[in-house]
Amino acid sequence: MTETAKEKTEAMIHRVPGQGRWTLLHALLAALGLIMMTPFVWMVLTSLKPLSEIGAAWWVPKVWQWSNYKEVFSVIPFGRFFWNSLLIAGWVTFLQVLTSSMAAFSFARLNWPGRDRVFLLYLGTMMLPGLVMLIPNFQLMVRLGLVDTMPGLILPAAFSAFGTFLMRQFMLTIPRSLDEAAEIDGASKWRLYWEVILPLSRPGLITLTIFTFMGNYHSFFWPLVMLRSVERYTLPIGLLFFDSERGQSTHLLMAAVTMSVAPLILLFVFLQRYLVRGIMLGGVKG
Amino acid sequence: MPICLADYTRLDRKLTPSKPGGKPSHQRKSRRLLVGLAFIGPNLTGFLVFTLTPLVISFAFAFSNWDLHLHNIFRNEPLVFVGLDHFRELFSHPEFLQFFGNTLFLMMGIPFAIAGSLGAALLLSSPIKRRPGWNLMPLGVAGVVLVASLSVLTLTGFQLPGLMLLFVFLFIAILAGGMMSGMTVYRTLFYTPHFTAGVATYVLWKKLYDPQTGPINSVLSPVLEGVASTVTSLPPAIFSWGSILLLVGAAELLRRFVRSGLRSWYAGESGWLALFVTAVLGSIVCIFVLRWSEGWAGGWIPVAGFLAGLWVRPESRPDRAGRNPLDHGLGVALMLGLLTVVAVMTLYGISSLSRVLPTMAVDGLEPPLWLADYHWAKPSIMIMALWAAIGSNNMILYLAGLSNIPSELYEAASMDGASGRQRFWFVTWPQLAPVTFFIFIMSIIQGLQGGFEMARTMTKGGPAGATTTLSYFVYIEGFETGRLGFASSVAWALFALVFAVTALNFKFGSRYTND
Repeated sequence: MTETAKEKTEAMIHRVPGQGRWTLLHALLAALGLIMMTPFVWMVLTSLKPLSEIGAAWWVPKVWQWSNYKEVFSVIPFGRFFWNSLLIAGWVTFLQVLTSSMAAFSFARLNWPGRDRVFLLYLGTMMLPGLVMLIPNFQLMVRLGLVDTMPGLILPAAFSAFGTFLMRQFMLTIPRSLDEAAEIDGASKWRLYWEVILPLSRPGLITLTIFTFMGNYHSFFWPLVMLRSVERYTLPIGLLFFDSERGQSTHLLMAAVTMSVAPLILLFVFLQRYLVRGIMLGGVKG
Repeated sequence: MPICLADYTRLDRKLTPSKPGGKPSHQRKSRRLLVGLAFIGPNLTGFLVFTLTPLVISFAFAFSNWDLHLHNIFRNEPLVFVGLDHFRELFSHPEFLQFFGNTLFLMMGIPFAIAGSLGAALLLSSPIKRRPGWNLMPLGVAGVVLVASLSVLTLTGFQLPGLMLLFVFLFIAILAGGMMSGMTVYRTLFYTPHFTAGVATYVLWKKLYDPQTGPINSVLSPVLEGVASTVTSLPPAIFSWGSILLLVGAAELLRRFVRSGLRSWYAGESGWLALFVTAVLGSIVCIFVLRWSEGWAGGWIPVAGFLAGLWVRPESRPDRAGRNPLDHGLGVALMLGLLTVVAVMTLYGISSLSRVLPTMAVDGLEPPLWLADYHWAKPSIMIMALWAAIGSNNMILYLAGLSNIPSELYEAASMDGASGRQRFWFVTWPQLAPVTFFIFIMSIIQGLQGGFEMARTMTKGGPAGATTTLSYFVYIEGFETGRLGFASSVAWALFALVFAVTALNFKFGSRYTND
């Protein structure tokens, strides 16, 4: 379709807005955006206030106290929490992406007896509320002596049916003729996976990486029941206990919250197109 | 996990077909099995250890008296099979019913979230491309304006006018950014609350809601004072008429819902089950409104709407209705019905509020205590959830759905002279039905399991259990009380609910998703 024809169709669909309508549309969008941002604005401004201005009617601090951010590190081991979160989310993501993509390759590209039945089993468990498995899993960790350890946090999260499903859906879109070409060239299945399919599923891998990383960065239930010692706390758990122990120092709490939210916002700004694509792939197919 | 959105509705019924060809030899077959298993092995092992086995164990323990008070290192009583005792206890457990009610109450926010997502997607999909000739300048201007405004603020006042000034400047900044780069800026802004949703934002909202030091009440108190003085200066009749008008609106909604249900049954578009669902949901609302209004005559207005909806002249011969499949149109009837229930109840709530407003305003209006108040705790959580849900994955799905609607449909509608509203109701809305259905089902499934993180971080399930949901109940019983068997049975009851919704979706959803 040529550019003008496309514009014409768009005009048909939406009636091209005049100057006034265009401005109104933007005003509406900006107003909605402002509402969404307001809590964050308050968060950042409060994190820069001195204690004496907490609860005051004004939002913009009279004294900009940047040292709040430094103080957070002396009040709680924030760096430690952040590092723990990164470490756990990183390991889980690495393991999950590796095992999921291998399993997905097996489901999408290999042909072995019983494959479809195993896949149905995977699909079936995706509907289960995770809650059902938590209690036995925790007791298992108790028996294995993995409570309050990093492996105890990482292992149960490292294998996912959802990731396998997502990667399988992605790999099915890669043309089969590539497999045959590789086979004729004498490539083994491992080389087919490692050198053909995996590089071609890069967008899918990135999507799964973001999903998994985010999910585990936010993960709350499992660390909450598993962790005992402060030096192993992840960020959500650390924030929770900071809030319940020193909740009155709102300015420090908000500084900590800002520091845990900011990396996410940055991540989203840079990776949003992969994320959007992944949501569409995992959801209703376009 | 707020982000993971699995596709439960279009689980491929047809798995990839096996390659055609002659029967392979036994040796080749076992070799293929070996290679296949080698690739799936690591994942399958984890799956068996951390998903399948716990599942079986959990099911077994739901029927046992596994309790950390009876079975620990000091005491080791035999594990007893208790049969259905836990499940019987559940239904006589007064708190379980309250917690189940809480879960359902919180789920009433779902229609609002869906409507918000759709609205945001519609706004974002309109042609808001940047005008030709715009460049980076507006962003620079916005930055300068922001910095200048903040320095002006620091130098001058800080009170309410200053706050308003801050918002005006932020608005201008966002507007400039949006006009420059179009959809991306807005999409980022809308999506951020969802993307960052977690303990950090719950802690943030807890502070926002704080009755003494939180910004919500410090903004709300002067506003409410103004409202109170305005209300007392107005004649109270306005409010009673307003409340009746809202009830009439609710009645009209009910009438339309019942009428459309009956009509589509007459027209042969839906079967007996859909009709039954329509009747049941419609009468449930009527019963609730009558009960809440406690003998006040206004409670009969929605009932009248319901009855008026029954009076439909069939446009086609009704005997066609008998030939419908029983379950035809059930999904639509359920969805529309639940939406109507929520809308009518909301309208009724606002109406009764406006009825008592003049008497309340005499003593002055106080802002609520939010999370600390039994009646406000759930609405507080719903407001926060709405904030996080409008710009969520649902919005992205709607955006994708909107871009998939063939433009010929709009062209045809335009040629028939359809107005903007008609184009929405007769083209956009039906075309988006599969997406809406998917989102609706997913939201229900997530809603049934939800509420744990908010309860744990914001309210600890209180006040008086007002925000304890089923998932938080499982946590308390399983990890604080130590009644593992009972907690497992609660989890399985929850599973049964989720399964019912999923099964319903499979049975009736395929019509909407597999087009």
